Amino acid sequence: MLDENPAKKPGGVWIMILTDLHFWVPAIILLAGLAVLHWIR
Amino acid sequence: MESSSTKIIPQSVESLRLRKLQLVGILCGFGAGAWLGAAEAPTKLVKLGVSPLVVSLLMVFGVFLARWSLPALIRGTGQMRADIRQAPHLIVWGILAGCLWAVANTLTIFAIRDIGLSIAFPLWNINSLLGIFWGYLLFNELRDAGKLRWLTVLGGALLMFLGATLLAVASSTTSPAEHPLRGILAALGAGLLWGTMYVPYRKAYLTGMNPLSFIAFFTIGELGMMLTLALLYGGGPVALSHQLGLARPVLFWLMLGGFVWVIGDLFQQFAAKYIGISRGIPLSNTNQLWGLLWGILVFGELRGLSTSLYAQVIGGSLLMAAGAGAIALSSVTGKEHARWKQAADRESQRYGVDADYVQAALSGNQASSPSGLPAPKSARTWLDYVLVIAATTIFITLAVLARAPNMALNWPALAALAAAMLIFLLACGLALGRTTRFN
Repeated sequence: MLDENPAKKPGGVWIMILTDLHFWVPAIILLAGLAVLHWIR
Repeated sequence: MESSSTKIIPQSVESLRLRKLQLVGILCGFGAGAWLGAAEAPTKLVKLGVSPLVVSLLMVFGVFLARWSLPALIRGTGQMRADIRQAPHLIVWGILAGCLWAVANTLTIFAIRDIGLSIAFPLWNINSLLGIFWGYLLFNELRDAGKLRWLTVLGGALLMFLGATLLAVASSTTSPAEHPLRGILAALGAGLLWGTMYVPYRKAYLTGMNPLSFIAFFTIGELGMMLTLALLYGGGPVALSHQLGLARPVLFWLMLGGFVWVIGDLFQQFAAKYIGISRGIPLSNTNQLWGLLWGILVFGELRGLSTSLYAQVIGGSLLMAAGAGAIALSSVTGKEHARWKQAADRESQRYGVDADYVQAALSGNQASSPSGLPAPKSARTWLDYVLVIAATTIFITLAVLARAPNMALNWPALAALAAAMLIFLLACGLALGRTTRFN
């Protein structure tokens, strides 16, 4: 059943997102970019 | 009963369909290059002392308008809601990608200021190589593709990098760098951010989201981040509103640039969807070639060059064209496509997305509804018409307020390049419409 998928439980989608490498790779690069921008401006 | 989230996606999409989708993707990659390259043209008309951050912010406003009205016109916002219901988690990635774009674009402004375009452009063009790396690492692209395809994709990207370097050096008119370290960091940072921006793109398209839906969320992140940066680094709300007031006569040209950019980006997104980011990014990077054509032919840049500089321009263009050609010819094999489907399965199972929806997206078809019946055709609602009418009204009002550019333009060249863009628009639009019905 779809409902058995962890992502379908309440709040489950956020657990899936926050444990997904696909999220952390761009998020960390974004933070690094903001740090560079802050330093060079 | 087997759950739809764990259904195994059929092993192969028929090869003819696959070949057609790849051709559409390649065409969209070249179309993206033409439209993204032209997007800078309206900004060249701006000669007022408007700060680069404000120029970027106003372009993003144009992008925002276009990104909410074009999807409404093509598919209707109802289809967007259906996409969100299937994969709501992708909203996070859409916003993340928009933030990445805004920071990267701002970094390029500082890079050009500090080290000039000639050094900055090739540095941020590393985004192609990074796209290949992320595509391989995270989405199984180029896996089981064979040595020849690896060679053509990597070799093509390197050729384009060399060509871009030659073109950038030839088109440089800036003075020596004042802050080399800062500028190099900014340019590399922009390349890193742009190359990584395609991770959310690819994730969304492997899952099945339509590019026309994804860009709507992208633009929220983009406008939010750009507005924050403009307020933070532009001296606060009062200084920003003063700058916006100064820019009133050129608002139309800047927002037109944003509008043109959106069309290019849409093609770029369809290219990422159908040929992957390892091939799609290098093809859309041909935008540098088109930007140079606009600069030389329409705006009369690089007039009176020495023979060696002309040789650099021609050589750089040929290298870029050869690189793009090599990548375009490096088709996705059945084995590699099977690895793409494994990556798509991961998304389907992890987030509980209906396997039919994911499979339909991989083959560019309309997914069935959960009941198994064909999904209803897109129907526009009053909201779609309101969005289109509002965007059109804003553009017409700004066009009336706009000041005509007081500069010499080569009109026949402008007409020829505009015609080339329209041909790409028609060809890509027809190919997408006939092959996928924009699904």
